[in-house]
Amino acid sequence: MMEVVNFVINSLIFPGLLFASLVGLLYVGIDRKVTGHMQHRIGPPIWQEYLDMGKLLSKEDITPGPAQSLVFNTVPLIALGAIVAVMLFLPITSAQPALTSVADLIVIIYMLNIPAICIMLGGYSSGSPFGASGAGRYVVQLLSYEFVFILAIIAVVARVGSLSLGTVVGYQVQQGWLVLDWRLLPAAIAALIAAQGKLLRVPFDIPEAESEIVHGALTEYSGPKLAIWRLAYDIETIVVAGLLAALFFGGPTAYVIGGTQIPGVVDFLVKTLAIVLFTTTLRNIMARLRIDQALKFYWSFAALLAIISLVLVLAVP
Amino acid sequence: MTFVVPIGPQHPALKEPEFFRFEVRGEEIVDVDIHLGYAHRGIEEAFSRRNYKHNIYLSERICGICNVVHSTTYCQAVEQLAGVEPPERAKYIRAIIMELERIHSHLLWLGIAAHQIGFNTLFMLAWRDREYVMDLREMISGGRVHSATNTIGGVRRDVKIEHVPTFLRGLEKLEQSTNYYINLFKSDRTILARCTNLGVLSKEDAIKFCTVGPTARASGLKTDIRRDDPYGAYDALSFDVAIERDGDVWAKGMVRLREILESIQIVRQALKEMPGGPIRIRVGLQIPPNETIERTEAPRGELLYYIRSNGTEIPERVRVRTPTYGNFASMKSMFVGGTIAEIPIVIWGIDPCFACNDRVTLVDSRTGKTRIASFDELRRWRK
Repeated sequence: MMEVVNFVINSLIFPGLLFASLVGLLYVGIDRKVTGHMQHRIGPPIWQEYLDMGKLLSKEDITPGPAQSLVFNTVPLIALGAIVAVMLFLPITSAQPALTSVADLIVIIYMLNIPAICIMLGGYSSGSPFGASGAGRYVVQLLSYEFVFILAIIAVVARVGSLSLGTVVGYQVQQGWLVLDWRLLPAAIAALIAAQGKLLRVPFDIPEAESEIVHGALTEYSGPKLAIWRLAYDIETIVVAGLLAALFFGGPTAYVIGGTQIPGVVDFLVKTLAIVLFTTTLRNIMARLRIDQALKFYWSFAALLAIISLVLVLAVP
Repeated sequence: MTFVVPIGPQHPALKEPEFFRFEVRGEEIVDVDIHLGYAHRGIEEAFSRRNYKHNIYLSERICGICNVVHSTTYCQAVEQLAGVEPPERAKYIRAIIMELERIHSHLLWLGIAAHQIGFNTLFMLAWRDREYVMDLREMISGGRVHSATNTIGGVRRDVKIEHVPTFLRGLEKLEQSTNYYINLFKSDRTILARCTNLGVLSKEDAIKFCTVGPTARASGLKTDIRRDDPYGAYDALSFDVAIERDGDVWAKGMVRLREILESIQIVRQALKEMPGGPIRIRVGLQIPPNETIERTEAPRGELLYYIRSNGTEIPERVRVRTPTYGNFASMKSMFVGGTIAEIPIVIWGIDPCFACNDRVTLVDSRTGKTRIASFDELRRWRK
């Protein structure tokens, strides 16, 4: 009985849906505010994402004629479900995640791809040329960043010798952050670049380039369904940042400062915010690449960094 | 298999309604069809129903961005019809305002071009710096965008001597930021990746399709009405014509950025050398039967006005040929072989102004079909 209650609390409240959406929306709000200041604008208030979410949710639910299908209507929910599930596998308060398995990194990699696949399905089933074009670009982009991302994770796994994220964090508590390990520094850079592509941020916002293909795969979505997409995207921001924090930046650590116990979740929030702000800076100092240029960049430069790291980890004990 | 990607009439890449029908195979463009006429406003017909004075304001409203050059061309044409010469000082004031307009138009171009390639920070910064030139225009003419300075026989407002120091300071700021953007344009890797070698218009094609303005100059064609057929004060002002040879989007941007620097020099020179004297003369509106063609260099290229008078206060016919119209023919050769990702920036490369450009569409009101009128047909309608 206790287990069931625990599971429900974990998935719906902390660290699941409620916590993830509150933090995700706030972070994207901060991202928008910082972007505004970087561009010499005032920018929206940092709670703007909550307002947008409320606005979208209160709108009429319209499905365009050519898009009437089960796939079009259900993929936003599947994407949201998958991304919230990843939240449960991330170490947030301590090294121990809410759900554990022997090889949770493999589960996380799989689950993180489900929203991307859902966006493609939504785009292809929307019956719009912009949706199809955006989905096509997303396929190419997925093939480019995912390889780099997985290689970087494998480098970490080879160093730590475990596929469990809890063990990776525990290892860092004893040995120091993995990003400070010179063998893994290239992998950390490669993973940050891959995260930029995963989060569809400039210069890799190619699948939803608004001046070219309107809103890419999500062009035909509106109202509550778009709200769910936005929520899934915002949670993905914090999930990817949290995963990077756990892999390379020590994960959540509890500190004692002046006799007061500061829980690990604070550390988690600080680290993820720092990573989000780093991606924000990147996205404000560059122009968007073309999809062929992005593919070339990932498979040459970024992949090279990850491979160097992997070879170093295997060759230098 | 090819499929059709409609860009327009409503699309985020376009700031005005116009329809481009792209046939694409995957990401590659194999054909493009351009449908004009969505912003047709009946301006030319309206010209021949109002008197010469009212038409100044009508001509200013053909285009929001390049309104001064429209009204200047119109006023110069009417002055030619009436056989009068505006005072020298008025010519200099016109030149100053026209050059300020060129700066503001090119900075606007830079901002939107940056937005088209997804560089929103540059977009915001370019438009922030555009505010300097808007302030200068407000100071000199009273309006940030629509100056309403021109009138037949001169200008309505003088440049005050106490404005000159503020003016020079503003120009200095503009020069600094333009130099910064030129450096950025030359060095930023992502801008180079997105702008070089695409939408290329060779010099031969530029000549063949009669392109005008920065589009032609970016292809290595040294054409500038200010130099080739000087009007107003440009005879006395010295300046370089900026040209680039590559013909791609990068070259088009570079030509515009370097023209900003030239314009700043022209304004400084005009402020220094401006003679004193009256700023306008009175012109009677009963203009004897005559006809004239007047050409000027608008920010986007050659602007042409043809006016025929018939002895009354109302012109019989006014024909306006805007630079965008001259550049449309070259678009197909820029697009074919490119990719979808290039569409917005290549369209924006010619700095199109659709509202200026749309004149004639024939829509059959019974069937709703549109058709294109032949040249002979149009000639038969000539009154």
